[in-house]
Amino acid sequence: MAQDSIPSVAIVGAGPSGCYLAQFLRKEFNESRITIFDTLPVPYGLVRFGVAPDHVGTKAVAVQFDRLFERDCVEFIGNTEIGKDKTLNELMNDYDIVVLATGLGGDRKINIPGEQLRGVFGAGRVTRLINSHPFETLDELEVGSHLAIIGHGNVAIDLLRLSLLEPEQLAQHGVDKDLADVIAPNTLSQIHVIGRSAIQDAKFDPAMIRELSRIPNVRFTSDAENFSVDNAEAKKRIEVINSLVASSTVNATRTVNFYFGWQPLEICGSTKVEKVRFKSNTDEILELRADAIYSAIGFEQAKDAAIQIETLISKDSDLEHGFIFEGLYCVGWLRRGPQGTIPVNRTDAKKISERIIQDFREKNLVKVRE
Amino acid sequence: MMVNKSVVILFGTESGNAEFAAEDMAAEVLDRPVEVIDMSDFDVNSFSHENLYLIICSTHGEGDLPSGAMPLHEALESVNPDLTGIQYAMFGLGDSSYENYSKGSEHIDRKLSALGATRVGEYGRHDADTGTLPSALAVKWAKAILGAN
Repeated sequence: MAQDSIPSVAIVGAGPSGCYLAQFLRKEFNESRITIFDTLPVPYGLVRFGVAPDHVGTKAVAVQFDRLFERDCVEFIGNTEIGKDKTLNELMNDYDIVVLATGLGGDRKINIPGEQLRGVFGAGRVTRLINSHPFETLDELEVGSHLAIIGHGNVAIDLLRLSLLEPEQLAQHGVDKDLADVIAPNTLSQIHVIGRSAIQDAKFDPAMIRELSRIPNVRFTSDAENFSVDNAEAKKRIEVINSLVASSTVNATRTVNFYFGWQPLEICGSTKVEKVRFKSNTDEILELRADAIYSAIGFEQAKDAAIQIETLISKDSDLEHGFIFEGLYCVGWLRRGPQGTIPVNRTDAKKISERIIQDFREKNLVKVRE
Repeated sequence: MMVNKSVVILFGTESGNAEFAAEDMAAEVLDRPVEVIDMSDFDVNSFSHENLYLIICSTHGEGDLPSGAMPLHEALESVNPDLTGIQYAMFGLGDSSYENYSKGSEHIDRKLSALGATRVGEYGRHDADTGTLPSALAVKWAKAILGAN
């Protein structure tokens, strides 16, 4: 029967990967029931809770996704954690195709002594807090005068920039007024931004560094040595840091120091963090005062995630194309790891939608139900 | 009066915002045939005098082309088609909180001009730093272009 050849689709996770996937699948499966589940009461995951609040241009992609629910008859079911409120098996009984798009919500640990000390915060937690995530509280967050940010990726640079904005600016972008005073306190005088890569391999996008040059009253320094490289991308990273340092105000009351090529060794303190130590590849030691530390060294699957993907994978899985087993797929960061911006996940969603559509054409996938 | 040309909307996108606006523009073209094509799927040998091309293209990274526009740019470079007499209008997307605002579309614009095509109407631009999607502005722009062409 014709109706039997319309597959129903459940997508677990309403972040960018899940929403992009729904867009691509909706184009092919015009009449399918497509449902996106999320643990939270509201959709859009990282767009809402991960993108910095002042990056309104990046957040605007949510308007695209609004149309899924407003016009394209995609259903959103919030407050529902698959694996807890409803099992994956139940979901697979209810839908012909299930796609996991739950992302990687856990902050990757540095795995050094002292990491459990009070005053050490994962960047993902801080970003969620700034974006008013309903499950996030950091009552004990106190930045003091010296903040150390470990990591040189875009998330680290986001937190650096947000710490340097005026609390009023943060509030204008929707950050809770009291929280804005905690994130960007007027006591803050030194921010250290330390990465293990050399400057030419640092993970930030140059545009993110250029953006920093607009912030007033900051002296930027860098310990990177001047040297020449052939690689164009590496050259850009060196130039952008050099020009930020050269153009910054010498007698500013706030200083931001970039350190390149330092591997974290230990975090020290009696009851809370007091300093953090690093080592270079020539075994030099760098010791920095820190009243608080943001560790921004990447993401991994949260330990308490209700679905742990490795328990589902077998030798027949084809993760390159998002295939876990018949009827079950994965997409986005959960599939390929925590690299790539929101648009990269669009490309990923397109690729996985093609595999799903191909499997549907070859194997139908529509389950026989009573 | 000239007979209205058919409209071909070409989009070059990274995040999907240009495609979204392209579809919204197409929905507003009621008086003539209209087609929306992803630049990645467009054959540069198919440029025709019978069409008016509305081109919408975003900016990626440091003023670069979005990945969706690269195949077209490369094809224009390698195939080098004679575009004399081809008419197009250009709408660029960008974010003024970064340097090189809205430069992505200009790569395509320069290439088309160099190959002999003629840009008509106002060069449209949308700034993502306003927190809006380009759709509304792009639709307004397209209406103005089509009203005069």
